[in-house]
Amino acid sequence: MTNVKKLNNHDDSLYRELVLDHWENPLNYGKIKSPDIKSVGHNPVCGDQIEITAVVKKGVLTDVAFESTGCAISKASASLFLEKIKGEKIKKIRSLKPKDALEELGITLTPARTKCALLVFTTFQKHLK
Amino acid sequence: MINIKSDFPIFKNNPDLCYLDSAATTQKPNVVIDAVTDFYEKNYSSIHRGIYTLSQDATEMYENVRKKAVDFISASDSNEIIFTSGTTEAINFAAIGYFGKHLKKGDIVVLSEMEHHSNIVPWLILKQRIGIKLFFIPVTKDGNLDYKSIDLDFKKVKLVSLTHASNVLGTVNPISEIILFFKKKNPNTKILIDAAQSIPHLKIDVKKLNCDFLVFSSHKMLGPTGVGVLWAKKELLSDMSPVITGGHMIKTVSKEIVELADIPEKLEAGTKNIEGVIGLGAAIDYIEKIGFEKIKKDEKKLVEYTLKKFAKEEKVKLFGSHKSDQRLGVFSFAVGNIHSHDMAEILNRSGVAVRSGHHCAQVLMKALNISSTTRASIYIYNTTQDIDRLFAGIKEVKKVFRI
Repeated sequence: MTNVKKLNNHDDSLYRELVLDHWENPLNYGKIKSPDIKSVGHNPVCGDQIEITAVVKKGVLTDVAFESTGCAISKASASLFLEKIKGEKIKKIRSLKPKDALEELGITLTPARTKCALLVFTTFQKHLK
Repeated sequence: MINIKSDFPIFKNNPDLCYLDSAATTQKPNVVIDAVTDFYEKNYSSIHRGIYTLSQDATEMYENVRKKAVDFISASDSNEIIFTSGTTEAINFAAIGYFGKHLKKGDIVVLSEMEHHSNIVPWLILKQRIGIKLFFIPVTKDGNLDYKSIDLDFKKVKLVSLTHASNVLGTVNPISEIILFFKKKNPNTKILIDAAQSIPHLKIDVKKLNCDFLVFSSHKMLGPTGVGVLWAKKELLSDMSPVITGGHMIKTVSKEIVELADIPEKLEAGTKNIEGVIGLGAAIDYIEKIGFEKIKKDEKKLVEYTLKKFAKEEKVKLFGSHKSDQRLGVFSFAVGNIHSHDMAEILNRSGVAVRSGHHCAQVLMKALNISSTTRASIYIYNTTQDIDRLFAGIKEVKKVFRI
């Protein structure tokens, strides 16, 4: 993992520095031209959308990007999660669980906001299945 | 100003609550809660079929609300009032039970871009089923319907189904003028008015409006959830097929055939939400006791107060009209590039309850080129203090997000 500030302790403040940093300057934001993977996900509750594009070489996720209309939680989560899986083997990514995406944020979420945080995970995993 | 807030136990039980989500659902006054409880404790029984006194009393109470509903919307015949589960069911009854039967491929149904999904989806389903065409009246930048320049094959326009007021922008549409416009083009065009948003704020007179169908929900006008009203002209209701069939709605049933009852029974199958209807009756009484003139006057003051606050607040964009005329106290806004969920989350920390998201109006969101808004909406129990707390919350949001 590179250039990502990560706190190990769970912080009960939802909008702590980490989230705001990734909201303001999300990593891997944008669209990859001619991607191997393109996956679009929606959150029907709020109408938010995320589009993930990625490049896979020899079973490894070599590049990944996202664009979204989501809230700070969903954007920060996408930024952190995609940074976490970039460079990993697809096989390993496929075995990840929702908690692996949530722990990157390191905050306690209500059920409604958990959906925001997991939009990136469900959208990407959906494509791998 | 009388202290209306004290009539609502929710505020006693949640003293820090700043409730600004009345466009979604209103809180309930004591009289409504008591009416439902009293009915359960003193008069509860099944209606319409019991020979015993209790059932006869309950039936009379239920049917009295039908009469109250008639007067409430200035209709003339209580047989024209159908109790449904809400606005959504009422529109579905009209769409499936009446228009599903009468519309043909190529017929046009006119909607607007500011409709709630409840007044879009039933027509999209008919489009898939029958091949009707839908036309959406565009919304201007300041949140009004741009209907005067519409050019359609008006012979084919069989229905105009419109909301009286926008649940996102608060716009009160000039519904009488719009009805006149379409009826002039084609007197056979039917008009359905979705009054879900307007009914708690404005006096509705179906005769003056000259509409053919009118629908609304109890829970948005201080009454219980799970009750709504479908009003339509008698000949249209008589010609409407029941969407739900079963008990209560028959004259005779044999192994071979069913003979349907007349209206309203025909369209009220099964055991209805009796206590909900009784509660709606209490809500109508309560609203009429306060009076629409007072409601309108007080709300206008609060709307003006709120609009001034919005005008002064930096980096806040208010969608829709910035004028208090022809507008309800429904305020959709955005603060910088902060997402509405984040807004609502932070406002919640100080007890301010607002709605965030697309408000079941994705067609409008697309027309405005946005994905969601934060929405604060007021009703009779709100005060200037509530609005002050909203703006204190907005300042806090800006601080958290460093803008």
